[in-house]
Amino acid sequence: MTVASRPAPARIGLARAALGRAGGYVAVFAVALTITFLLPRALPGGPLRTLGGGEVGDLDPAARAKVVAAYGLDQPLHVQFGRYLRDLIRLDLGESFNGGRPVVEAIREALPWTLLLVGTSVLLTAAVGVLLGVIAGLRRGRGKGNLLLAGVLLFDAAPAFWVGMLCILFFGVHLGVLPTFGVTTAGHTGLAAVGDVASHLVLPVGVLVATGIGQFFLVTRFSVASALHAPHVEHAHARGIPHRRVVARHLLRPALLPVHTQLMMELGWLVGGALVVETVFAYPGLGRLTFDAIQGRDYPTMQGTFLTLTVTVLVMNALADLTYPLLDPRIRARGRS
Amino acid sequence: MSHRTRRRRMYTLRLLAAGLLLAVAGCAGDGAGSPAAKEPQTASALTIAVGGDQGTLTPYTYRTGYPGYHLMSLVFDTLLVLDPSNQVTPLLATGLTTSADSRVFTLPLRTDVSWHDGEAFTADDVVFSIDYYRKHDSVRFASALAAVEDVQVRDATVVITLDKPDPEFPVRQLADMPILARHVWSGITDPQKAPVSAAVGTGPYRLAGYEPERRYELTANTAYPIGKPRVDKLSVSVIPQQQTALAALRTGEVHLVADEVPPNLTDQLSAQQGVKMATGSNFSSTLLVFNDGKAPFDRVELRQAISAAIDTRDLVDTILLGQGTVGSPGFWHPEAPGADTSLKHSYDPAAAAAKLDALGAAPGADGVRVLDGKPLSFELLVYADSPDRVRAAELITEMLGKVGVKTTVRAMDADSVDVKVWPDFDVAKGRDFDLAMWGWSATTMTAYTKLAGLVATDPKAGSLNVTGVVDAELDTVAKELLATTALAERQAAAGRLQQLLAQKTPFVTLYYPAGAYAYRGDVFAGWAYQQGWGPLNKNSLVARHG
Repeated sequence: MTVASRPAPARIGLARAALGRAGGYVAVFAVALTITFLLPRALPGGPLRTLGGGEVGDLDPAARAKVVAAYGLDQPLHVQFGRYLRDLIRLDLGESFNGGRPVVEAIREALPWTLLLVGTSVLLTAAVGVLLGVIAGLRRGRGKGNLLLAGVLLFDAAPAFWVGMLCILFFGVHLGVLPTFGVTTAGHTGLAAVGDVASHLVLPVGVLVATGIGQFFLVTRFSVASALHAPHVEHAHARGIPHRRVVARHLLRPALLPVHTQLMMELGWLVGGALVVETVFAYPGLGRLTFDAIQGRDYPTMQGTFLTLTVTVLVMNALADLTYPLLDPRIRARGRS
Repeated sequence: MSHRTRRRRMYTLRLLAAGLLLAVAGCAGDGAGSPAAKEPQTASALTIAVGGDQGTLTPYTYRTGYPGYHLMSLVFDTLLVLDPSNQVTPLLATGLTTSADSRVFTLPLRTDVSWHDGEAFTADDVVFSIDYYRKHDSVRFASALAAVEDVQVRDATVVITLDKPDPEFPVRQLADMPILARHVWSGITDPQKAPVSAAVGTGPYRLAGYEPERRYELTANTAYPIGKPRVDKLSVSVIPQQQTALAALRTGEVHLVADEVPPNLTDQLSAQQGVKMATGSNFSSTLLVFNDGKAPFDRVELRQAISAAIDTRDLVDTILLGQGTVGSPGFWHPEAPGADTSLKHSYDPAAAAAKLDALGAAPGADGVRVLDGKPLSFELLVYADSPDRVRAAELITEMLGKVGVKTTVRAMDADSVDVKVWPDFDVAKGRDFDLAMWGWSATTMTAYTKLAGLVATDPKAGSLNVTGVVDAELDTVAKELLATTALAERQAAAGRLQQLLAQKTPFVTLYYPAGAYAYRGDVFAGWAYQQGWGPLNKNSLVARHG
């Protein structure tokens, strides 16, 4: 067999692998789809209180049955599942049990706020975590490095709820420099509105970053510290390469591989929102939408938000698979061979 | 993390936050104790914080209870209305005449009222509303309308005739049922999904904007002929976390927090400059319910013994820090109309022990009494997300332990408890519990029929009989109450039923927490506390003419 004859079977192999991977994603999606339907119905209680109101006990049994039938909840489970799939094919996620608002509309309204809040905080968390991780890694075992480690671990261990309340009381109540809740103040337009949204974003993002940098920090710190005296780093120093360049090319770059994995995992959960922070700051994101839906046993909204989360996780996993070779030459080399 | 674990964690965190707020409030020193400033009775704009979304504020899509109903009532009017002391007064009707047999209700209507879209309000709208609620009966306003035999309109006067007497019809229906605009609602065939555009009423405020899960914008109806709205613009913001809402109150971003302030924060908050507390009674109740249909709780003596072993005063002092009322053995709040105030809970552990001895329940080797061969050891269910009830359950466990009755507290999420105590909210479906911490909302104390509903054996009349009590005497008095034709008779029957409840003890009424609501008195101080409910209501926000 000549070298020239190899690409065809290699391409077939690659295509098979890609197909296999895609098949895996489809299988996971199908299982997730079923779970998103069954999970809400497995919870104790039901949506009757949401459908019939808090004083549902005042309704006579016939009226209660009518309410249940109006939402098809009197049908067998397989019939309900069939309807769910049929509607899903039409990209219809149904209507919320709480007021009949289309679920797609509710998600569409909540998603931008979540992307803004969690997206900003994940990127900032990664950047700050890596930066502090490099500093702490280079100073491992020394005063500043230990102080940094203790500080980050302290914030990492602190509940976001508690840190959020502290921030509200200090920056909102005591200093009076930042709004304490919500995403906008009524009446702002144009640039003032942008500034208003940004000012509402500061505290929740700050809390998410402060309480979330632990993973990025620790992973980077460990990678940098363990490679600090590796032969290739010593060799680079011996060759007279400037310290900053050594840090950037020989310490930081390898450290970014686990950071990349961590970042993709965090981005995958992006649309899950940040339930605690969204609740503390009355931020109208997907986390709160999901939580309220669970509390009210609002099946269509639960299905819709779970499904959105599932799809995002799968897409981010796929993206991680695709982008990993760009960072790791070993994967590229394995792919070529 | 599981949902239950998360809730427990949230509960712990809430306690932490409450302590934190106390600490910061104590050291912030932003003007505590300053002299009372002016108390404005009008304002150009107010922001009210509510704990959750309250629906689209139509009679079919609002979130029931307080403050959802009261917000909806700012947009929609009723024929009659309850004043701050819960007395019926005219609103869309100019008066009410009731026939001697409490079957015919004559209501002359105002002729100067318009809907928010400019259409004139007429008697046809009232007739349409009654028909509409009866046709689309998946709403609580429909229940009492089942008895409507005829509705006539004579010269802008509506005459409603019932097929049986109902002396409480004015208070539980005419002062409760929002009137719908015929020209808006006649085109709505599925009212459970009524759009926000259907929130067109005759009330003192128009719904100008609604962002789900975020806020409502209400503007004053300047053409309101019944009175002048005191606030030009109301903004209602959804703030799920109460600590955040209270912090926003202190910064002045919020001017009223619609949720009750926990007892441990009231003193600290009211010491802040500009912050005041609206306080009054709260008709919601906290109970210890037995599964009365199941041995040994089917024995009155055992229930009486357990009741006597519980120190309800201690519960109020320990859990509510004294900011509440000890439960009446007759269930009815002592300040609610028709209460038998002579009924007092008797805490007497010695008498409780004597009753148990008399039953033949002797202590076993482990100190737990044994009755009919079975130890008096029970599971006590409680909502995990209700800190005061969990604490009350723990204290009750200690109190009952002293007389040889063992209880094990089982904190579960609210739906899991509901499934066991009140499956599908239908008492005919039975129950599966021993003991549970339970509670009824303030609505339960708005009509004497609800008192009968707590104990009547027939599921239709006894729709609130979650204990499953079956007692001929209770049934007889409940039937008498429901058959009364005059309000005075019904009140007397309610009095008899309260006495019988105290005697039969189908459940133990532990306490009624007091209502305490924080507001910015320096911005608007016109809040009128409606007894049993709270300050957010039409009486607070409208200065009535005449």
